[in-house]
Amino acid sequence: MKRLPELRLRVIDFCFPAESDTWLAILRIGLGLQVVLYALSLRDDWNYFLAGTGHTLISRNLGEAILSLESYFVPRLGWLVTLGARIGFREETVLRLTWICLLSSGCALLMGIASRFSAILAWFLHLCAAKSAGFVSYGVDNFMTIGLFYLMLSPLPDRYSLDRRLRKSRANDPQLLAFWRRILQFHLCIIYFFSGLTKCLGPGWWDGSNVWRALIRPPFNIIDPEILVRWKYLFPVAGIFICLLEIGYPFFIWNSQTRKIWLICICAMHLGIGITMGMYLFAFVMIVLNVAAFGSRLSRMECCTTSLQPRKAVS
Amino acid sequence: MALSKRRVYLAGLALQLFLIITVSSRDTFWLLSESRTIFPESSKNYWQRAEQIASTALGQRLPVTNPARQILTGYLDLAGIEAGYGFFAPNVPNSYKLVFELRFPDGRVEYELPRVSNAASILRIASLLDKIGRTQSEALRQTIVGMLADAVWREHSDATTIRAIFGSVMLPSAPEFEHGKRESYEFLYAYDFSVSDKSTEQSAP
Repeated sequence: MKRLPELRLRVIDFCFPAESDTWLAILRIGLGLQVVLYALSLRDDWNYFLAGTGHTLISRNLGEAILSLESYFVPRLGWLVTLGARIGFREETVLRLTWICLLSSGCALLMGIASRFSAILAWFLHLCAAKSAGFVSYGVDNFMTIGLFYLMLSPLPDRYSLDRRLRKSRANDPQLLAFWRRILQFHLCIIYFFSGLTKCLGPGWWDGSNVWRALIRPPFNIIDPEILVRWKYLFPVAGIFICLLEIGYPFFIWNSQTRKIWLICICAMHLGIGITMGMYLFAFVMIVLNVAAFGSRLSRMECCTTSLQPRKAVS
Repeated sequence: MALSKRRVYLAGLALQLFLIITVSSRDTFWLLSESRTIFPESSKNYWQRAEQIASTALGQRLPVTNPARQILTGYLDLAGIEAGYGFFAPNVPNSYKLVFELRFPDGRVEYELPRVSNAASILRIASLLDKIGRTQSEALRQTIVGMLADAVWREHSDATTIRAIFGSVMLPSAPEFEHGKRESYEFLYAYDFSVSDKSTEQSAP
């Protein structure tokens, strides 16, 4: 029983170490670029995917009706369209303005202008679009929401932002910075653990057949199967490697001796997925989240700046 | 930072991690109860029960209108943690294909696929087709296919009938591919749309 208070203090120490804001700068810049690329990738199809009536692929009203069955509190573009209608804006105009605001919030995040406001705006508008167009959303939308959610709650602005340089505001609490980084780290560990676990349970990842299927499955089949089949002996190795890499992530990423190699391998895996399967946005957001969570401590500059931060005594 | 403030943050962290783990577990149990895995078929009942327990913890078994369920579901969506992380697991599923057969008054027949402007949007169409293929609701499937047919019709307003053919893409294994087998299509559903009354008829697989 005497060990409980000691354990509690250790947990508190682990969750609130002194931390610089380099990781937050990486997350802000990375997600800013991601939001810009996301908006640009949907530029021509934005209204086609998100309109409720007229020239649309799937009516937004259908997606939002299903969303309402789940919860009324989830943001959606229908709210903005209704608001716009009250001041005389057509649906098309509201959707175009939403796209412009999303792109602008991404640019503002990149530069660190009005960082907190930009992060909230980017999270809200992206979530509205992803939820309203739920039928055409996929993994990348999920991870963007996760990243933007943590970004908007983290203690912005960071020292590399224009906000800090122009306003000369004081530095953020290093322990609070560390806490938000810890949440992102824990979340990534859970993501990879469950992703690896579910893969391990399928026989196709052990014999490599799932690697083959993933690479020839439309629309990810950007490499000619005639070329791929020549490398068929590598598929079991790749399948087992992916399983072990993912399920081992929460165990090896914390150790300073294995962190670097694990992080490089995970980023290389996402890069490989991006290049061989054409999932560039997905690959990019995963690399950003990983580098922000575990990467900044690897750099020399980060080691120096962290050591300069005074550690506050536990009251 | 004061200790009391840290405790509040820690409580928030514990709640967030509990939700992430519970959602991930629920989806993992669901995958285990629905898919072919290394576990015996007889274990599927246990996975179903485990999934129900996880769903109960997330308030998913409360009535839809229950405020607690509404708030919890809303929070999961706001934080982006409403779904698990079993990508391409335990196995990579077949993909789906939707082809529209357009018939014109002069007897011409043309074939069209759902059209978008770039590669990033094609990934979204693939996600849509997966959702059409996996849904248990025939009404929802028919409604979505009808909307997609409508989008094609706008581009070909002179067509008199459109048949939407939805199928599964069967992928060959690497050894099969080496022996000359290529991807094939398994017919799943067909829907007919006519310009006169815009009525639909469904063909059984």
